[in-house]
Amino acid sequence: MGEFQVHRVRFFGLVPAGVRCLACQPRGTRLALARTDGTVEVYNFAANYFQEKVIPGHEARSVESLCWAAGARLFGAGLGGDITEYDLAGLSAARGVDGGGGPVWSMVANGTGTQLAIGCEDGSVKIFQVVAEGIQFERNLDRRKGRVLCLSWHPSDTHIVAGSIDFFRVIDVASGQTVQRIMVNHQVEKAKRECVVWAIALLSSGTVVSADSFGRVQFWDWQQGTLAESCAVSTSAVLSLAVSEKEDSIVVGTSSGATYQLQLLPVRLGGLEKQWVRTKVFQFHSHDVRAVAHSPTALISGGLDAQLVIRPLMEKVQKKSYDAVLRKFIFPHRRLVSCARKARLLLFQFSQYLELWRLGSTEETGKDGEVLPLCQMPEHLLQLKSKGPEHIYCSSISPCGTWLGYSTASRLQLYRVHCDGDGVSLSKVPKAPKLLPPAYQLQFSAASDSLFVASARGAVHVFQLQEPGGCKHLHTLRPPSGCSEAVYLLAPSADGHWLAAVSGDWAIHVYNLKCFKHHCVVPSYDCAVSALAIHPITNNLVIAYSDQQLSEFSIPEKQYTGWSRAVQSRGLHRVWLERDSPITHITFNPKNAAHILLHDTFLLCVLDKSLPLPDDGAILMNQSTLKQLPETARKRQLHAFKICKKFQPLLFMDLLDKNCLVVVERPIMDFKTQLPQPVQQKKFGT
Amino acid sequence: MVAPGALRVVRCGGSGLRGARAVFSADSKYLLCASGDFVKVLSVNTEETLRLLCGHADLVTGIRLNPHNHMQLYSSSLDGTIKLWDFMDGIPIKTFTVGHKLLALYTLASAEDSVFVVIPKKGERDTFQLVSVKLTKGTGQDLEGKELSVVLDGVGASTKQIAFGREGAYVVSVKDVHLQVYFFEKKLLNRFSLSTVKTKGDNRFSCVVCHPREDCIATGHADGKIRLWRNFHHRKAYTYSALHWHHDIVMDLAYSVEGTRLLSGGVESVLVQWHNESSCQKDFLPRLGSPIEYISMSSDGVLCCTLHTDNRITIINSNLRFSRSIQGLIKSRDVKTGLVVDPRTKALVLNGEPGHLQFYSLQSDQQLFSLDIVQRQYIHQAGLKQSDLVKVAFSARGTWLATVEESEEVTDPELQLKLWFYSEETQSFALNTRINTPHDNHITDMCFRDMDELGDDSLILVTTGRDCVFKVWVMVEDSDPEAHHNVSWSCDFIGSYHNYQATNCCFSEDGSLLAVSFEETVTVWDSLTWDLKCTFCHPPGNIRNICFGRLTCSKYLIGATDYGFLCCWNLLTCALEWSAHLNIVILQPDPLSEHIAAVSWLSKESSLFVFKPSEPRPIYIQRNLCKEKILLAAFVPRDEPEMISSEKYLWLRNSQLFFLTDTQELMTLSTKSLEERLTPSSKQLAVEESLPVTPFSVLLGKHRRQQAQEDIDLGKPVVHNKQEQASPAVKELLHTPAHVLPSASFLCTIFINSLLISKENKSAEEVADEVEMESEKAEDESDEEDVTAMEQEDTSHVELLGEITCKLSKSQEKELRKIRKMDYSWISAF
Repeated sequence: MGEFQVHRVRFFGLVPAGVRCLACQPRGTRLALARTDGTVEVYNFAANYFQEKVIPGHEARSVESLCWAAGARLFGAGLGGDITEYDLAGLSAARGVDGGGGPVWSMVANGTGTQLAIGCEDGSVKIFQVVAEGIQFERNLDRRKGRVLCLSWHPSDTHIVAGSIDFFRVIDVASGQTVQRIMVNHQVEKAKRECVVWAIALLSSGTVVSADSFGRVQFWDWQQGTLAESCAVSTSAVLSLAVSEKEDSIVVGTSSGATYQLQLLPVRLGGLEKQWVRTKVFQFHSHDVRAVAHSPTALISGGLDAQLVIRPLMEKVQKKSYDAVLRKFIFPHRRLVSCARKARLLLFQFSQYLELWRLGSTEETGKDGEVLPLCQMPEHLLQLKSKGPEHIYCSSISPCGTWLGYSTASRLQLYRVHCDGDGVSLSKVPKAPKLLPPAYQLQFSAASDSLFVASARGAVHVFQLQEPGGCKHLHTLRPPSGCSEAVYLLAPSADGHWLAAVSGDWAIHVYNLKCFKHHCVVPSYDCAVSALAIHPITNNLVIAYSDQQLSEFSIPEKQYTGWSRAVQSRGLHRVWLERDSPITHITFNPKNAAHILLHDTFLLCVLDKSLPLPDDGAILMNQSTLKQLPETARKRQLHAFKICKKFQPLLFMDLLDKNCLVVVERPIMDFKTQLPQPVQQKKFGT
Repeated sequence: MVAPGALRVVRCGGSGLRGARAVFSADSKYLLCASGDFVKVLSVNTEETLRLLCGHADLVTGIRLNPHNHMQLYSSSLDGTIKLWDFMDGIPIKTFTVGHKLLALYTLASAEDSVFVVIPKKGERDTFQLVSVKLTKGTGQDLEGKELSVVLDGVGASTKQIAFGREGAYVVSVKDVHLQVYFFEKKLLNRFSLSTVKTKGDNRFSCVVCHPREDCIATGHADGKIRLWRNFHHRKAYTYSALHWHHDIVMDLAYSVEGTRLLSGGVESVLVQWHNESSCQKDFLPRLGSPIEYISMSSDGVLCCTLHTDNRITIINSNLRFSRSIQGLIKSRDVKTGLVVDPRTKALVLNGEPGHLQFYSLQSDQQLFSLDIVQRQYIHQAGLKQSDLVKVAFSARGTWLATVEESEEVTDPELQLKLWFYSEETQSFALNTRINTPHDNHITDMCFRDMDELGDDSLILVTTGRDCVFKVWVMVEDSDPEAHHNVSWSCDFIGSYHNYQATNCCFSEDGSLLAVSFEETVTVWDSLTWDLKCTFCHPPGNIRNICFGRLTCSKYLIGATDYGFLCCWNLLTCALEWSAHLNIVILQPDPLSEHIAAVSWLSKESSLFVFKPSEPRPIYIQRNLCKEKILLAAFVPRDEPEMISSEKYLWLRNSQLFFLTDTQELMTLSTKSLEERLTPSSKQLAVEESLPVTPFSVLLGKHRRQQAQEDIDLGKPVVHNKQEQASPAVKELLHTPAHVLPSASFLCTIFINSLLISKENKSAEEVADEVEMESEKAEDESDEEDVTAMEQEDTSHVELLGEITCKLSKSQEKELRKIRKMDYSWISAF
């Protein structure tokens, strides 16, 4: 018999939304991403591309274009016709200004980040001034018939190119006049197919780069209006284009899912004459690549298959490190599943509804690796639709399974779950707390008697839950020094004594719940915290950082434990540090206090603190080799990391009791089948 | 002039063209390609071999035009020499002895007096280095080229794995997954490696070429990808893009002159043209017949040529249109049919392209035609079981052709016996009868009953199979009125012997007896009643070959066993006449004489024995015939019996013996020396090309021929000779410009004298001597004489002589032989 009985859950039907647009922060380390459902996410390059911030979407707010302006301010515009600024500290869409030209297809900020230009459905290009309170309409540029699908500023801010269907034009910003109108399908006009300029870029040399639906990337002299070079990169449409800051490399994404790199290379070695050459091809996506970005060291692409792919440029990476490896992200770096351990319920969070499932059960036992027959099938208990157009920020179910809560941008909803036999009913808790800013994380205490709500400005609200269905605001915990960022992770201790909270500035505050006082701050480490948990027995806080570091902090002693110091001095295994995705959940084994269970999207790890740490020379994933070794040799090979890669991709893992484990998987193929058919391509040998 | 020296083994076809890329001459009129130990000069327009540059003692591995003189050619060989040729005249100018095995040759315009060669590294196996050889300037023909300097280490042995960049600025070498670039000026060496771990396919490099104008390297890979490398002077910022169409290894690449187009080829037999390095724009030239081994472009970019693995050369226009194909003996994967002579064309018939039968003309070293037997699309894919032709037999007059094809399955072969009838109207074979599964197991042998005089009624086909039977097939009148043919073939008799596997069959010369060997036993059957007449056996060992003796020796049956015995049985006494201990692999009777050739294979050398069945002592023995193993042999009847002075070689009089080695090179035995063997036609062609044929020359030629014929018919060689003698004087008179001619009174006597008939009585022999001498003189004097005309006259002369020899007395024969000699000496003057 194996160590754990595992509930292998595959009924979480999550379909991540496709990537609509990407924006790299100029001279910064952040990447903003918008999905087709209007969700905006911010990834931090410095923290191993950790998904730092998520602003859930809104039914009425589609995002067609994102741009960074005035330093770290993020603006989005979409087919709703509004320009929205996002509050990254408060994780909400802040103010909306009507563009005044119908649906907005594109928006770009100028080089200094002081002005925004939007391209509208009615063919107008409008300039907005970025001011402290938001944005202000400045002027209209020359309007021509045909929707403006893409825009690009000249680096010197004097001109704008605007791409439309069949043509693009160059507009002088000072006069507002169109100085050049260039037909892109001049040669193939007889074909009578319209040629959509999906993406455009104006280089400092005055070259206009256009990407069109005929699969061409063309280089134009904007003063003469002549075609300098044409690269037919693909037979399918080129949908997106991004230029590196040095203007020596371009990345384009196509509707066949391939991305291509074009480079400006000398015709002769050492010569001055240069030409654009299509160099590398990557086929990472199965669907349209709607968005590409070019960071100084990597090509970033996002497709309708919901994948964000970061392909490092080897020649730009100085040393072999985390940055030098290809990264693919499909699933969010946070928890969408919560588990009621005692009631054996799972709560799944979707963008606009929640699903409550009861786990199946079995009475049989079997050998290691055996599949046990179920005597009771898993049961879909209920689906709870959120009211209004807003998407759900967070959700949680209490460990006893009697309380359930979720939050949208404007409301926090709390429900009492009544389980009577087979039927399940919900009753809304009447006097639900009215909090102005949204809740970013909900967490019930282990005893299910209180609810912790993570809120903006580093605050954590504590509510007392009262039977048969009421709640009372007890206290609001705030860091003593104050904080502008929202709290995004909470970890209460099992004994209800401590609460750890992580805010957007990555500071971990520990509060004493008995006296509602700030207890201490974990010494700051300059990386995002991806998961944390408090050990039920020792009250040690185990922290996983997005750069894959692990540390253990003793709350009573207010210092790192000896084991944690040993880990720091020794360093973790190289393979562990180069893993793809961050640890998203930590839990503990009640049978063995030295065991810490961790998981990310691709592996499940039992960390045994009693065993020695592995050397760089040792094999990290050695479970299969260990099995073949005799008992005596096995002892010598053992190390602290016991890794299981059986369950992939792993969205959630928790211990129900001391020998029962639940894992939630979402096989890639299951959700690929729910995507629309990709562009049909002939594959050799089929 | 026939030297009574030893017989020489001469390669006459099928030499591999795989040593090096072919080279176009600067004017794109000639194509030069390495063929075995020789360099062939081919005419692009006529597809003829104009000249054979011979002189190397081993395989030619590289040919390059001299960059400083486009009429000269460098060639390198495994024998360790570099030769400089004047390829237009076929003259070796210089020989540089390097002393190492040379595996590839490169020349550079910028390198004044040195060439680059690949040599094996000293002391290490399978490692090679690229060195530059300084070609010393000297007056003599044989020079030393020992001044070597190493350029690159660890290069590939193939000529395709090294390329020189634009204007010779750098050299690129690929091997396995490593690419190295050496910049001459900066003395910088950059190495790049492909990762081998993540890739699914085998991404080793197979070939490399450099862009002629830009700094771009194109490499072909074993997984079918083409990578275009740029910026390779940066160790880090180098970049490449990939083009992928081929599904298997890219065998060779070539850039067009401007570098805008890239050609690639591989086992798919498709030439792919990539435009502007874009993977979307490409053109194809499919169905080139066999895998492409090398691609080369002419310097003006008008033509491109591909060398194929089956020794075919295809010339392709710049707009990717097939222009012409030059094919000699096509190399097939396995010659299962043996060497068969087509009685109609005297062409050698054997496996050609997969599923095809090739008819190879020995005289012109060209394929006459290729007959599709299997008639199924051949798919170039490893491991695919496909049908192939395994047996072929012609009836005596070549009107019927029988073929057997089988699939490559070992256990359950799909067999088909096809009978083809030669249609006079279409001048080709048409399928008459197809018999599915003629035997239950592999067919081992097949023969027709050859009887010229009895006509079609006596035509019988016998097949033997491993299913322990032999079957007799006969023609029957077709009752079905709607059938295309009025005859078809069906089985007449099935014979077996003690359930042994039938291995060989053979008809006696008169067709009355059929010998079939069943493992250890030879059975002789009466072909009329199909009664078993007698059996012969020479245990131990199975019978490998059997044949009947011919003409005076028709009472003998010869058999060879795989236990190393050659036995001769007398059919009249039913007893063993004699036997010899020899490991015979080939037993080949001459159809025109009683001689039988046997080739033995013992301790890695092939020996040839020629014997008459009536005498146990062989007529001729040649040990160590050639280095390679001889797999097949055939006697091909000569058009006219050759004059052979030596008694020893009389067996070569009527037929010529050809061998096929395991590398599929065709060899023959020749009594002539090397210079003589060169086909006169090639020389004639060379001159022909320089001299246009005018109506006058044709007229003159016709006139002469008539005269010559008349002379010989009348038996008055003297008169003819007199005229011959006169012609130079007349010609001189006519050809010399008027202003330099002497006075008419002086010329008059000469002219009159030339017209007079001499009355002197000389003996026949003396006359012949004079003839020879004077005709030679005439040749020397008249350089601008119309050569075509003379040539035609000569050939007619020879043909007639061939007929006369049979009837003339000894002395007359001698005299005629002298005239013959004259012909040859005349030819060699060119």
